[in-house]
Amino acid sequence: MSRDGAAALLEVRVAHKDHASAGGKPQRVLENLCFSLPAGRAGALVGPSGCGKTTLLRIIAGLDAAFSGEVTLPAGGRLGMVFQEPRLLPWRSVIDNLRIAAPQASEATLSALLAAFELSEHARHFPGELSLGLARRVAIARALAIEPDLLLLDEPFVSLDDALARDLRARIAALIDESHVTTLIVTHDLREAIELADVVFLLSPRPARVGATLMIETPRRLMTKEVADALEARARKEIEAMRGR
Amino acid sequence: MIRLLSLLLLLALWQGAAVFADPRRLPGPVPVFEAIAHEAETGALFTNLAATLARVAASFLLAMSLGAALGYAMGRRPALDRLFDPWLVILLNLPALVVIVLAYLWAGLTEAAAIGAVALNKLPNAIVVMREGARALDHELDEMAEVFRLRPAARLRHVVLPQLSPYLAAATRSGLSLVWKIVLVVELIGRSNGVGFEINMAFQLFDVRLLLAYAIPFVLLMLGVETFLVQPFERHVSRWRRRPARGQGRA
Repeated sequence: MSRDGAAALLEVRVAHKDHASAGGKPQRVLENLCFSLPAGRAGALVGPSGCGKTTLLRIIAGLDAAFSGEVTLPAGGRLGMVFQEPRLLPWRSVIDNLRIAAPQASEATLSALLAAFELSEHARHFPGELSLGLARRVAIARALAIEPDLLLLDEPFVSLDDALARDLRARIAALIDESHVTTLIVTHDLREAIELADVVFLLSPRPARVGATLMIETPRRLMTKEVADALEARARKEIEAMRGR
Repeated sequence: MIRLLSLLLLLALWQGAAVFADPRRLPGPVPVFEAIAHEAETGALFTNLAATLARVAASFLLAMSLGAALGYAMGRRPALDRLFDPWLVILLNLPALVVIVLAYLWAGLTEAAAIGAVALNKLPNAIVVMREGARALDHELDEMAEVFRLRPAARLRHVVLPQLSPYLAAATRSGLSLVWKIVLVVELIGRSNGVGFEINMAFQLFDVRLLLAYAIPFVLLMLGVETFLVQPFERHVSRWRRRPARGQGRA
């Protein structure tokens, strides 16, 4: 997995992936889906609901081996994943959840992480005592605690209210800029992707493949509403074209 | 408070019945407690209680550890489950007495046979409960453990065991009472000490007083184990469930 230089990126080539449907007939979810993401960059996979985004993320995370193709992880191969549901251990406190996932991390590192997500006062709480917004932050802190070579985020803002989503988006943007961790975000929200990512991969409807790639040249911090609007308009045109085909 | 009152009521009923009954058939609480005091003075009570308690502990631990391991394996692997489920059904329906007598016939009137026979009686029960627990394990947390590459020991301790602990507590509860009842039978048939042995003596001598003098302290002992060991353990492992949810997420 760790060839120097060349392997310092995430490379995904899925020839095809089928789901067995309830009737027993296999259904093609992904086909000829290829993309690569340079180390230290943030990529976003955007597609309509049900197009197979989560399936793709599970393949990249190594949770689903039943596909034909190849996934090369960034050198080191340590994965930090934030699932759609926080998936914290409900019987362990917030700080213990981090400790268990990252036994090699020092207490100071973990405290700093909690502080960065304004979770310090919740360190001794159990996940069941937290709201979804807080639990998501804990899940993100946990994924970062292991100092991942690749950070995977599955719809990190879904079912949060607007203010909470904006707050979390700003935190993640700051974090990508600071830590330069290679990040892949899966989302159905185009605007969210444009504001967060360096490169946006637009997925086609099923069977999904990368229909268009949108490079975001404007740095996250300098992104203005006008630039984002223009990018969004361009992306919408690409999406229309994909549907037309 | 109500529990204490209910126990006092039971005692009063016993006293009331004893007034009208033949004292040889149903002695009152006072003579029985005198008998307990007497047995305690000679030390026989404690030796016999200790012998029985040791057998209960040994067979219980044997059955629970084997049962937990087998139940977990069967809950996690459907192929194993299909293979061994018929054995389990047979074992569940095998009368305790058959297992005990067979064990004594095959292994002689030994301590190992006694403890093994009791453990074998409890084993299927433990397997069934733990298998249910293993089947109910959260698949999503498994995936989380997989992605974060938790070591097997950490997985067991932090992911699997907390999910199994309610089942462990349930198996312990039903298991302890089942085990001690069977231990008495084993002692009655083939041991020369223990509460069961003393009850056999009382039966031979038609001494209801002696019988109750051994039965009551042992019931109290097991009640103590339940109240001071099993229940606190249950509370400890489920402490994360009790607390109410706290406010909204904004800092």
